[in-house]
Amino acid sequence: MAAAAPAALAADDRKVPKYRVVSHYQPATQPGMPGPYPGQAASVHAEKCIDESTEKPDPAVVREMVARGMRALTGDADVRDAWARFITPADVVGIKVNCSGAPGIMASPVVVAEIVRNLMAVGVKPDSIWIYERFEEQIETVHYDRYVPEGVHIWTAETSRGSKESYDPATYVETTFFDEEDTRSNMIRLVGSRFTKIVNVPNMKDHGASGVTGCLKNIAYGNFSNVARSHSGSVTNTYSFIGTLAAVEPLRSRTVLQVMDGLRGVWHGGPFSPSRKFRFYPKRMLFGTDPVAIDRLLLDIIDDKRKAEHAVSVWDRSAKYLGAPGDHQNNPSVNEFVREPGHIQYAGRLGLGVYELDKIKVANIEV
Amino acid sequence: MPLALLAVLLPTLFWDRPIDTADTLRKAGIERLYVPAGREQAWRKESFAATTFDRARAAQAVAPTVEYHMDVASATRVPWVDANGWRFEREPGRSFFYDAPAGSGALAAAEAFAYGIEAAIRAAPEDLQQFARMLKFLREIDRLRLPERANIGVIDDGSDTMAEVLNLLARHNLLFRVIPFADPKYDLNIRNVPEAANPYEFAMKTRRVLTDEKRLLRIYGSNLVLVRLTGDASQARVHLLNYGKAAVKGLRVRVLGSYAQRKLAAFAHPGEALEDYNLQDGATEFTIPEMGPYAVVDLRRDSDF
Repeated sequence: MAAAAPAALAADDRKVPKYRVVSHYQPATQPGMPGPYPGQAASVHAEKCIDESTEKPDPAVVREMVARGMRALTGDADVRDAWARFITPADVVGIKVNCSGAPGIMASPVVVAEIVRNLMAVGVKPDSIWIYERFEEQIETVHYDRYVPEGVHIWTAETSRGSKESYDPATYVETTFFDEEDTRSNMIRLVGSRFTKIVNVPNMKDHGASGVTGCLKNIAYGNFSNVARSHSGSVTNTYSFIGTLAAVEPLRSRTVLQVMDGLRGVWHGGPFSPSRKFRFYPKRMLFGTDPVAIDRLLLDIIDDKRKAEHAVSVWDRSAKYLGAPGDHQNNPSVNEFVREPGHIQYAGRLGLGVYELDKIKVANIEV
Repeated sequence: MPLALLAVLLPTLFWDRPIDTADTLRKAGIERLYVPAGREQAWRKESFAATTFDRARAAQAVAPTVEYHMDVASATRVPWVDANGWRFEREPGRSFFYDAPAGSGALAAAEAFAYGIEAAIRAAPEDLQQFARMLKFLREIDRLRLPERANIGVIDDGSDTMAEVLNLLARHNLLFRVIPFADPKYDLNIRNVPEAANPYEFAMKTRRVLTDEKRLLRIYGSNLVLVRLTGDASQARVHLLNYGKAAVKGLRVRVLGSYAQRKLAAFAHPGEALEDYNLQDGATEFTIPEMGPYAVVDLRRDSDF
């Protein structure tokens, strides 16, 4: 892993739009992010967790990875005790998957099924478990229903793109980036009205706008409407928008666990992955409560891979690497936007977690 | 005559097809027609209320629709909307003629009704059922006409540049009225748009100077819905026109002012009610669960409907 990010990371001079956050929810005594384990992560690697040729995960190995990761994170000897630190039988749990790259890459149904199994082991009923995503056409390619018990909900906010019916009109972030008419991004209504806890399950992916997409982007852009407006031309406002959204209550308080699925990864062209050209296989899962710390580790995982592939660094803000729309899809040294990996540090400044590598404690486990 | 007593005109089908299409019209429920000169008697014999409409005296309206120009660079990624509201504002009192291809007839009728203009609409035969359903819906709406409400007064110099500015103001729901002289009752008065001005930049600058906080009406959840606001001291009427092909779900509307009573009429969604109604910070907010091409929301400060 790289020891330190370039100086460009500081980005203190970046222009931050004026945000108006509207929410009547109060924060929990201890918000889920960064939660009880700030600056900590359990990193579990298993060479046999996925067959690279078929891209088929091994459920038994994944089960072992989840158990070892959760035990290492919490220090508990019994995996059930580890989950019980975050979830009670009375909870209604939202599992925020990531399907933007499906079916090439997504929160693996094998991983999600293992999370569901552990929730049920704690006593959560299937009817109180909601696997959710924003866009129906993305999640329907994954068929989570084939992996989880009957009764578990599989739900999307937008059965037709752009519809706001499933978002909370009273919980939103208002701002204008590019003179767009709709200046509000509303939180998914279920986050406030139904879920008592959220488990965040991002992937390990490059992202053309935000540099990488991990815990923070999945929980932020994945729980609010009307977020694509933050990009236009080569400019993206992901630097400040991601952290701002992630910090809105009750999302911040109720997101109690981060389980990053790195069985597969995408080192360029993300968040999408229409072909295997830019896919790779970290065969790693990261566990924690601090999304900033985990995403800081992700930054180096993606950038190291890009260096190995002789691709332009996620940190490079040079205009010379900007290409015409679509060019980046085939060329790993072409950027669609000036990337904003500094969004992770920005989120750290908002109190969502620990950014500095030397302050992040990682428990490395080999299965 | 008090404005409130003026009847709002209903748009009318313009039909220049042969008389043997009478059964098609009857089946659709059409009873009233505009026809070319010399044909009214034949249609009256078929028991239609037919009146001659002289296309030459009418202004041309565009067929209302949305266009996606994916291959054209633009300042924004917002689709282009072909709408006529700004034309109606620019030419008050004119009659308009729509040549509405399949899929646009009902929306054309709603648009003309929303602005209270006389319109002849040459709808496509395959649109007749939907067109007639829209006319029936429009007939059932309370026909009181209220004064137009706007943030911006525009002194129109008649130029092409001003035409595009008016189009863009309407496109972005920046409510304006064309006025002869500057009037302090508006938050902003516009005149003399430089010929070389970029109309989009000018419209956006207008928005920034006005500020969103002062806007009488905002919508959230669609960039294909255009609005018209009328009202007086005690009530307001919001016309919402959806130029997209798909229904809009969960459209959020914010109207400046506190209105305790409300009533929704949404085409093709009978009985639908406003949701998440909220009075806060001197504004009224509500959600329209689902709307097709047209919806009308009536708001009153005190008295019930």
